[in-house]
Amino acid sequence: MLEITNLHARLADGREILKGVDLTVKAGEVHAIMGPNGSGKSTLAGVLAGRPGYEVTAGSVAYEGRDLLALAPDERAREGLFLAFQYPVEIPGVNNMYFLRAALNAVRRQRGEAELDAGQFLKAARAKLKLLDIGEDLLQRPVNVGFSGGEKKRNEIFQMAMLEPKLAILDETDSGLDIDALRVVANGVNKLRSPERAAILITHYQRLLDYVVPDVVHVLSHGRIVRSGDKSLATELECRGYAFLDDAAAE
Amino acid sequence: MSDIRTGYIEAFQKQRAKSREAARRAAIARFGELGLPTRRAENWRFTNLRPLEQRLFPPAPAGTVPAATLPPLYRLGVPSHRFVLVNGRFAPALSDMGDLPLGVSLRPLAESAPALAPALDAPFLRESNPFLALNAAFFEDGFDLSMTDVVAGEQPSPPPELDRPIEILHLAAAANPVSLHTRNRLCIPPGRRCTIVETFAGSGPYWTNAVLEIAIGDGAALRHIVLQDEGKEAVHLGHRRIRLGAGARYDGFTLALGSQLSRQDTIVTIEGERAECLLNGAYLLRGSQEATIATLIDHAAPGSATREVFKGVVADRAHGVFQGKIVVRQAAQKTDAHQLNKNLLLGRQAVVDTKPELEIYADDVKCSHGAAIGDLDENALFYLRARGLTAAEARRMLIDAFAGEAIDLVADGAARSYLRRHLERWLAAREE
Amino acid sequence: MSSVEALDTIGPLGQGYKYGFVTAIDAETAPPGLDESTIRFISAKKREPDWLLDWRLQSFRAWQKMAQPEWAKLRIAPIDYQAATYYSAPKKKEGPKSLDEVDPELLKTYEKLGIPLGERAALAGVAVDAVFDSVSVATTFKAQLAELGIIFCSFGEAVQEHPELVRKYLGTVVPQGDNFFAALNSAVFSDGSFAYIPPGVRCPMELSTYFRINAAKTGQFERTLLIADKGAYVSYLEGCTAPQRDENQLHAAVVELVALEGAEIKYATVQNWYPGDAEGKGGIYNFVTKRGACRGAKAKISWTQVETGSAITWKYPSCILEGDDSVGEFYSVAITNNLQQADTGTKMIHIGKNTRSTIISKGISAGRGQNTYRGLVRVQPKAQGARNYTQCDSLLIGDRCGAHTVPYLEIRNPSARVEHEATTSKISEDQLFYCRQRGLSQEDALSLIVNGFCKEVLKELPMEFAVEAQKLLAVSLEGSVG
Repeated sequence: MLEITNLHARLADGREILKGVDLTVKAGEVHAIMGPNGSGKSTLAGVLAGRPGYEVTAGSVAYEGRDLLALAPDERAREGLFLAFQYPVEIPGVNNMYFLRAALNAVRRQRGEAELDAGQFLKAARAKLKLLDIGEDLLQRPVNVGFSGGEKKRNEIFQMAMLEPKLAILDETDSGLDIDALRVVANGVNKLRSPERAAILITHYQRLLDYVVPDVVHVLSHGRIVRSGDKSLATELECRGYAFLDDAAAE
Repeated sequence: MSDIRTGYIEAFQKQRAKSREAARRAAIARFGELGLPTRRAENWRFTNLRPLEQRLFPPAPAGTVPAATLPPLYRLGVPSHRFVLVNGRFAPALSDMGDLPLGVSLRPLAESAPALAPALDAPFLRESNPFLALNAAFFEDGFDLSMTDVVAGEQPSPPPELDRPIEILHLAAAANPVSLHTRNRLCIPPGRRCTIVETFAGSGPYWTNAVLEIAIGDGAALRHIVLQDEGKEAVHLGHRRIRLGAGARYDGFTLALGSQLSRQDTIVTIEGERAECLLNGAYLLRGSQEATIATLIDHAAPGSATREVFKGVVADRAHGVFQGKIVVRQAAQKTDAHQLNKNLLLGRQAVVDTKPELEIYADDVKCSHGAAIGDLDENALFYLRARGLTAAEARRMLIDAFAGEAIDLVADGAARSYLRRHLERWLAAREE
Repeated sequence: MSSVEALDTIGPLGQGYKYGFVTAIDAETAPPGLDESTIRFISAKKREPDWLLDWRLQSFRAWQKMAQPEWAKLRIAPIDYQAATYYSAPKKKEGPKSLDEVDPELLKTYEKLGIPLGERAALAGVAVDAVFDSVSVATTFKAQLAELGIIFCSFGEAVQEHPELVRKYLGTVVPQGDNFFAALNSAVFSDGSFAYIPPGVRCPMELSTYFRINAAKTGQFERTLLIADKGAYVSYLEGCTAPQRDENQLHAAVVELVALEGAEIKYATVQNWYPGDAEGKGGIYNFVTKRGACRGAKAKISWTQVETGSAITWKYPSCILEGDDSVGEFYSVAITNNLQQADTGTKMIHIGKNTRSTIISKGISAGRGQNTYRGLVRVQPKAQGARNYTQCDSLLIGDRCGAHTVPYLEIRNPSARVEHEATTSKISEDQLFYCRQRGLSQEDALSLIVNGFCKEVLKELPMEFAVEAQKLLAVSLEGSVG
């Protein structure tokens, strides 16, 4: 589904953040990417989603056989790539439900499905909220405005559930969450797991991985994937910390 | 009013200034064309210029410097380099420049003027401001501070920061109406830093019409504190033109307390990237005083920041005006500019006019302004009285806090306590 | 739920100015030029009483002594007032008695504009007066309104049928010589709307006027007078469109509102005059004087405007708060794209005790548009306890436009509390990216964010108008992001 080859990317100020990332994600898989602060985890998520401010200097990303990097951010989204933001953006004056229905209908048009009218949407939204155990008041508030940190993350998961992406990338969605919110996040990802879909969990801690068991765990350090393994790699990192990676990266 | 215009032209014909004859003639001709501003002109709509329309203030003749002493009230109270002007002319007897550090020159403009001549006429030629023209026609003296550049590797290299603050006193004493036209210059070359404390004070029916040009080079910094405490009958017009280079910093503060009519006109042009302009002040008015603070901060280069806060206390029948404009030109992307004007209106006949203005031509900017006008907070007054303060004490405390908040923006400790002393003096006098 | 409904109506973009068609209609037009004979011609056409002719002539003489104002931040090409035509009316034998008698071509035009005339009006519950070029062509629902004692008719009809009311209030809020454009309007105004709500009556439906400029080289000078007697309530809507023409057309209207003790008037405008093309060719010059007077205690006047059209907008709907405890409100969205210029805002004049005013202004500049908020808050010496709150926000889209904020605060009473806040910022890259990551196109994302930015103002509009306004915002911003 996703094939990242020798990806190099830098910031507008010229600092190189990704220095040759290779990663293959197959349909049905859940990958976790771990790594210390500043290792390039969020940059990788940003580059995959097409966030402005990064420049890809080398390498390629194929998504379902297409050149992902050639697509505009909204084309990627309509093709089923979803990014749960580390810092969800506030949009004053725009009702959360209004926003999400516009997004969902854009995605549905792309898939050749009929658009949902207000009533159908509300029905679908209520069902998902219930499934995820999220309060309904979320719908009527302006997008992320005045939301607590936990509410913002729940809102991201709710949006993901509604949009049913093929590839979901969660950028540190677990940071700063209490255990209840963490369960909501995990629940959201687990409900989405299917042979046709894949997910990349970017995380600093292995806590989330107790609830969502990944197929593969990667360690990103200094802009490269330095280790890959199964769930036990996450446990090892938890015990030993990230310090030992520096030796690996220095090779 | 046309008599007033003619009056100044006639006074010009009688004067005996020796230098810059052609320039002076051009300047008085310009004044003749412009006349005094009327309130129909947008920039002058709030300023009541009646005291200048009603009588003529002939330029103070040379050689009439009265034997004055330095009032202790206007001593900064810390070691400084002191430069005193009396009735618009350098007063060596009262000045104490001390040992100026290497590469620093502080001298009367009368001495440096011949060398500076064409540049001195630039401000009035660029702008349609009759007071700049009148100043150019009449000025003979002022202060001129300049420093040499800090050149890397040069031996011996001067320290970037001046050792002591510079005190400039503009003193005036007049028995009959006179006008004092001074031209002053501050030139801070790249990499240098200094602190200037300027005071205007005096007695009698005089008109100060002072022009100050400030150029702050790349990476240089100036702290500029002004106390305007002119006499009760005085008119004070202060014109400041400030240019900032890349990474330069201007930190200015004006406390306006004196004169019947005053107007402080400041134009800051940000020419270099990542410059910083702090333009703050307070005006405290009572009786029938009229004061205008007019500022224009022109962002012509990217990445610069402006912080502007002016607070006004307007009592009795006084009239306070704030006209602040921030311009962000198309090239000035990433500008971050904020302006705030707050006023306390304390008299039944007191008047405040405020016009904070943003003019923005670049999109990647963060700009805001705010203005507020109101009386003292009733709840706060009641709270203080419930704790045993008299109504007068409570009011004084709140006014002190309101104005003091502005003075706290002054970074230099000595200058801050100097302004504080004058604030306390104003509050004490108000209660009499 | 209202905002969800509204989403459905944000149509696809890319349709441009859709009201740019011209109606082929037989019109009776005055020769171009302006002198006393033009005014006598207009007055005679409308069979006006002598007092009104005199009033016009006085205005004309005042206008002749005045100069076009230059203080606004606008670049205006010289206007040749002698080249314009000051009267153009669709030809008809007699004034229409009912909709059936209105020229079918005209009705088709209004249908294209989506104005609910006739049966559709009944469904929508809106009473409409439609002004085509210079004259009012149809007023719906007159009979039902009359049962409540409400007068809603064309201005010309009011002059004939209710001269005492017109004479009592005309020019009392906007005097003849108030400003250059108001004086011009007072001299040559052709038609417009008139409404009177009797004491204690709550007008049961929205009153609405649609203005349409059709004829070429024609100025439109309509005049609206609205009176809400003691304790009355009325909500009034106004919409404007014009054909796409290469030359600039002049529109100089005057609106006067009078709210007596305890009365409330809500006045909403969606102004979508032709803005000119992308190169700034053509478009309406919109110089409008709108002012309301709260003449009694506890009166309230609320202006809401969405200004998306016109090449130039010069407009300051104002409130004179004479009555104690009276309230003035101004809610505004102004968009300038391409080469449009807007200098708009309000004046709140606090005269009575405990008068309150609120100003919410949202300016959006795109392309090479220049957008100025200019507002005055004046608290007179006797306005004990006056309060004002002003919030002006500007949004910039692209680096060639301008956003300017010019508030005047003139405070002459120490018990006043006046606050003004303004911000200017660029459209947020983060917000755009967030929306696009959820699948919205760049343009949809932009219109969504802009609608959110304007929410505080749009929510003041009646539902049907809010929907139209949202669509207009989207259309107006077309092509503003690359």
